[in-house]
Amino acid sequence: MPENRLSEPEDPFFSVLELQMGPQHPSTHGVLKLHLKLEGERIVDCDPVVGFLHRGLEKFAENFTYPQVLPLTDRLDYISAMNNNTGYCLVIERLFGIEPPPRGKYLRTMVCELARIASHLLWLATHALDIGAMTVFLYCFREREQILNFFEEICGARLTVSYPRIGGVRMDIEEATLEKVYNFLPEMERRVDEYEGLLSENRIWLERTVGVGVITAEEALAYGLTGPSLRGSGMPYYVRKHFPYDAYPEVEFEVPVGKNGDTYDRYKCRLQEMRQSIRIIRQCLEKLPEGEVVSELTPDLDMMPGGRMLKAEAFNEVAFISFLQEAKETFPKGELYSAVEGAKGELGFYLVSDGSGRPYRLHIRAPSFIHVSALPKLAKNHLIADLVAIIGTLDIVMGECDR
Amino acid sequence: MRFSPTYLLFKDLVTGLLITLRTFLRKPVTVRYPHEKVQVIPSFRGRHAMVVDTETGKSRCVACLKCSVVCPSRCIKIEYEVDEKTGERRLKEYILEALRCVYCGYCEEVCPVGAIVLTEWFEYSGRCREDLIFNLEKLVQNWKEHVAKWDKEVYENKYWVLKGVPLKLKPASRRIGLSVKIKGVKVHG
Repeated sequence: MPENRLSEPEDPFFSVLELQMGPQHPSTHGVLKLHLKLEGERIVDCDPVVGFLHRGLEKFAENFTYPQVLPLTDRLDYISAMNNNTGYCLVIERLFGIEPPPRGKYLRTMVCELARIASHLLWLATHALDIGAMTVFLYCFREREQILNFFEEICGARLTVSYPRIGGVRMDIEEATLEKVYNFLPEMERRVDEYEGLLSENRIWLERTVGVGVITAEEALAYGLTGPSLRGSGMPYYVRKHFPYDAYPEVEFEVPVGKNGDTYDRYKCRLQEMRQSIRIIRQCLEKLPEGEVVSELTPDLDMMPGGRMLKAEAFNEVAFISFLQEAKETFPKGELYSAVEGAKGELGFYLVSDGSGRPYRLHIRAPSFIHVSALPKLAKNHLIADLVAIIGTLDIVMGECDR
Repeated sequence: MRFSPTYLLFKDLVTGLLITLRTFLRKPVTVRYPHEKVQVIPSFRGRHAMVVDTETGKSRCVACLKCSVVCPSRCIKIEYEVDEKTGERRLKEYILEALRCVYCGYCEEVCPVGAIVLTEWFEYSGRCREDLIFNLEKLVQNWKEHVAKWDKEVYENKYWVLKGVPLKLKPASRRIGLSVKIKGVKVHG
């Protein structure tokens, strides 16, 4: 801010105006605050401020046993909770050598893809609403409602599902529900065509998205973008293909990539991803093997928390230390990073196990947090109205960003 | 783009308007909530209740404390006393703070006798915090209210059965199923 502003009035069109956008702004998708510097309506500088939704999930997880952390991961990216749960279960399975039975793997893949469609639908709805297309918003929520109804039938909850479990899933899905999902797929395909019919060639949509928020593949890699934000720039990096998990190596699907790396290409990418998700769900349902859904090695829900941090005040210091040393190791020690393809990008979990029943450290690589860091680069020299489109195209969920 | 036939002939706008017109002629999907209600799917994780057996009229809880141990939000507090002669535990008080609950369903999954359950009752509120801190009396009342609305003869929760889960992981009492016959229960209010 120039200090002589009061004494020497400047021409408001050429002076730099500072503006705080958010955290209560409806188009910032939650509680993102942007510190903008404007020249007229052109953005000179954009400084995102995060942390308004910080709940300390990573620290929180250290006080819980492994099964108890699972409901916490629902609250990361709360619109595709299945992916978060799967990511958390996967890191523990890989570290402790628990192999889920095939039916559990297929069911988990299926619900993950359903969650991905639901997440992309919500993204498309809000993105279109921000840019000014009201109809798409209502249409997308119509289909999302159906997917949430499936979740309700599968596990009894709509958003915070807690359905996957370490070593599989919590329970089998009824045949009737699987049939309903299968019958929903052709309808969903038609609906994706409908959204494309409404938007892809629409002149207002093209004006608002083509050439807005361009990022090249090298820059996107340097910023650490993943998911559709990276693939929109033409980089075919896909955790499901490159580091496959669950039933993904056994199903066929393509990797949709964009070309120009602008908002329109990312939009195209996500729509194609929805089609691929439908394809994966169909294959999962057709190939679904019989059998149990959860491994027998899975830790009990009411497992003992192990030696660490157990009734520390009841021991004197020496006794406590010897107690720690003598504490039985229920799980192997070690550390591991493992990632899943969340709806927003690469969702990674880094787990350090000290042999007790609680995670010693759990770090979450949240794609939204990393995508926020690319905002200043993307928003520079655009108008405020385009900033709204850019926030939308990065698909930020603040619950995951601030965790 | 500006001079393409799509642009000049307004093909994009016509396509969009045709889609909206087709949707306009379809049946509405909106449910006008307070007047009409959606059918709640069985085993929806809603309001908590303490199951009362029809034959004995007592709560099923055996005060094993598994639910209070497993609860991630630590919202269950249990008081019990030990019978000196037989050595069996007797439930004195069961306090469940619905305001803290995250509705993960771990308590009903881990309960060996199917005593605590998240019912399909989804619309409830309170005038103050104390209204939503359920004690044993309120939990039994919740169950009675839930049973009064339940139109089938038997109530069984999906989390009591756990279809597809290997037998080794289930406690012995749960391998045979824990369905409650609710026909013939006297309902007060």
